[in-house]
Amino acid sequence: MRVLTVDDSRTIQAMLHHTLSGAGFEVLQAEDGQKGLEVLNTETVDIVITDINMPVMDGIEFIKNVRASGQHQSLPILILTTETSQEKRDLGREAGGTGWIVKPFDPEKLISVIRRVVH
Amino acid sequence: MSELDEFKATYFDECSELLNELEEQFTAIEEGDRNADRLNAVFRAIHSVKGGAGAFGFSGLVGFAHEFETLLDFVRTGKIEMTDEVVTLCIRSNDIVADFVGAARAGEELPSDHGAEEKARFVTLCKGTKGDDELDEDGEPMEEFDIEFTPVMVNLEPVNDSGKEGWLVEFTPHRDLYARANDPLLLLRELAELGDVDVKVILKTIPTLADFEPFGVYCGWEILVPGDDVTEQSVRDVFEFVDGDCDIKITRQTIAEPRDDADAMAFDLDDDMPSFADLANEITPEVKKPVPVAAPVQSDPNGTEEGKNAAPVGVQSIRVDLDKVDRVVNMVGELVITQSMLTQQMDDNLKVHYQELVRGLEVLAQTTRGLQDSVMAIRAQPVKSVFSRMPRLVRELAGKTNKKIRLEMVGENTEIDKTVIEQLSDPLTHMIRNSADHGIEIPEKRTAGRKPETGVIRLSAEQAGGNILIIVEDDGAGINRDRVLQIARERGVVGPEQQMSEEQIDNLIFAPGFSTADEVSDISGRGVGMDVVLSNIKKIGGSVHVRSWPGAGTRMTLRLPLTLAVLDVMLVTVGRCPYVIPLSSIVETMQCSRAEFGHMPTGGRVLQVRGEYVQVVDLATRFEMHTDVEDKHRFAVLCEAEGSVKIALIVDDIIGQQQVVIKSLEENFERIDGIAGGTILGDGNVALIVDVQGLRSATTHRNAA
Repeated sequence: MRVLTVDDSRTIQAMLHHTLSGAGFEVLQAEDGQKGLEVLNTETVDIVITDINMPVMDGIEFIKNVRASGQHQSLPILILTTETSQEKRDLGREAGGTGWIVKPFDPEKLISVIRRVVH
Repeated sequence: MSELDEFKATYFDECSELLNELEEQFTAIEEGDRNADRLNAVFRAIHSVKGGAGAFGFSGLVGFAHEFETLLDFVRTGKIEMTDEVVTLCIRSNDIVADFVGAARAGEELPSDHGAEEKARFVTLCKGTKGDDELDEDGEPMEEFDIEFTPVMVNLEPVNDSGKEGWLVEFTPHRDLYARANDPLLLLRELAELGDVDVKVILKTIPTLADFEPFGVYCGWEILVPGDDVTEQSVRDVFEFVDGDCDIKITRQTIAEPRDDADAMAFDLDDDMPSFADLANEITPEVKKPVPVAAPVQSDPNGTEEGKNAAPVGVQSIRVDLDKVDRVVNMVGELVITQSMLTQQMDDNLKVHYQELVRGLEVLAQTTRGLQDSVMAIRAQPVKSVFSRMPRLVRELAGKTNKKIRLEMVGENTEIDKTVIEQLSDPLTHMIRNSADHGIEIPEKRTAGRKPETGVIRLSAEQAGGNILIIVEDDGAGINRDRVLQIARERGVVGPEQQMSEEQIDNLIFAPGFSTADEVSDISGRGVGMDVVLSNIKKIGGSVHVRSWPGAGTRMTLRLPLTLAVLDVMLVTVGRCPYVIPLSSIVETMQCSRAEFGHMPTGGRVLQVRGEYVQVVDLATRFEMHTDVEDKHRFAVLCEAEGSVKIALIVDDIIGQQQVVIKSLEENFERIDGIAGGTILGDGNVALIVDVQGLRSATTHRNAA
């Protein structure tokens, strides 16, 4: 399984990479939404995990763009966020996010959530 | 290093970068730039600091960063205006974040009330806005940021279904559920993890074929989840992501036994449908073991398999451990030596007979030089990283001393070797402190002296040949020479009868243990004087020079090598031994027979160059070497020391120019006056590097004494 992680924090990226590759997933990384779209243009992934607050293109815009592209309607996108308010979650959902994980994430939960949403 | 430690190291690295960036951003914001990008950037930076801190359970940092972030969010969304007061609060809070990060890195705990005042201020500010509902009432960090990871919500233990109670889940997805890439099958599979579920599909909602829309969503399911110990929450958690995208109703049901009871029949599957429990059993093994590694078979549109595992597209830089770069730099240094050794070995005989070899060596020399430049460029960094800390320093100093000071910075993008930059921060900080504390006058005094009320400190960096000049200039009162000389005499730095030029007096401020402040102030007087600046700079092969104009200001010039590793030198001999003189300090060379020498009344020799008299130092005499070369066949090397002061070094012969790798004499042997270090030549001989500045100072004192 290939996972694209989109996050501008190297710390979070490193931890995601560790957790995901430890579970046997192949991990691609992008540091913001724009870079994430570029990756999706050339690579095929099974799931995307994205942060919300990022420079250049934030996670919400990123998800909207992914869904608008027409090719990734059924690509699960998990939002990794510190936001706990329902309002922010709704924004992510409206954009087309599949689910969310609250930072800091529990590795086991992350894996179980991924399995919950990957087809 | 454990994985967690590695992550922490990454996090602290990232924090340093973020804090530097914040410092820059806030400086610009303070200067009036309220650009939305800037406000977003500071918000994001704090957000990132918080995010990582949460992962490591730095609860103090998370708590503070959270409130700070809330404030910044309100600022960037325009709910709170970025007044001067808010800016000041932000800058102070930035320091507190840095304190927390520093404490976390050191594994220490800060007092629990650290930053409490600022935190309270955030809450007050945010409360007064329309968005105050987003903030916790007591201003405490939200639960999610507490130290422990949130517990695993999914109960993976197989549930004993002997219970008589269960949950009836009526689940009807909406179209949106599919639009967000959720899949009912996965949800059912997850429910099956809770126990032996009975699933019944609701088919009555399916329209006739004529009314069928291709993308219509028509199916719903009724699922019975058995088990006394399955909580409603655990059932709801399965539908966490699809809440709102489906109709869901969960009710407590009694499951009557035996199963042929009329009530239970409702949950039995139609005979012609496979039982979902069976289906779930088939899936379960896959769900429970780690997900198989095998990637789905994909056809690559471009037909290229390379790049599949490649780093994300568009990455323009990589992060490399500094040790690795240092190793390359050192190896290139050795390569340079080997290359110059080969070149030296080329005698005329070889040159005639092996022209190809000669040409090859010429190319090698060029390539080596290019390689060296490229490697040094990797380690070079703009001085910006040091300069950027200065504006706030000046701001603080101005506040503490009740002076008005403006800092001007020029040439921030000048690049110097990272190792030099690291050593630059302390001396520069001290020089700026000195300028602000001793140089710039209080506003009343400035007005009285017909100067603008606001004093200016100018910090500039430029490349001059093989050196970087960093200049700290102020338009303050200048050095009080009478006072300096008086103190120098009192402390025995200068003999009672010793006469000194103005310039020499100015430079006395670098003498060990020297401080002219009548009372040790909170700012400059921290137990160290400018002598520390000098020794720090000398350590990295640089020099400091000061010039002062009474009433008009002071200028301190730091001259730093571009790199610490390799030096362009002129190879000379003195008493048959090789010495090298840094090329950057050489102005010209001449044969002694053509030079005009004169004698000072004191007995010292001088060289007359274009109407200027220059002090002469015979290296043979200075280093007590025996030379049998006649005076007229020797050479004078005219060097420029700090402050454009020249000195002529007399050597026996000039061999030529080359590059050398500097080896520290102090580390390998001991410090010797007049020698700046050693190096190993191509032929294996050790040559000493002449310390031009040191020789010049020594002769000055000797002559003056």
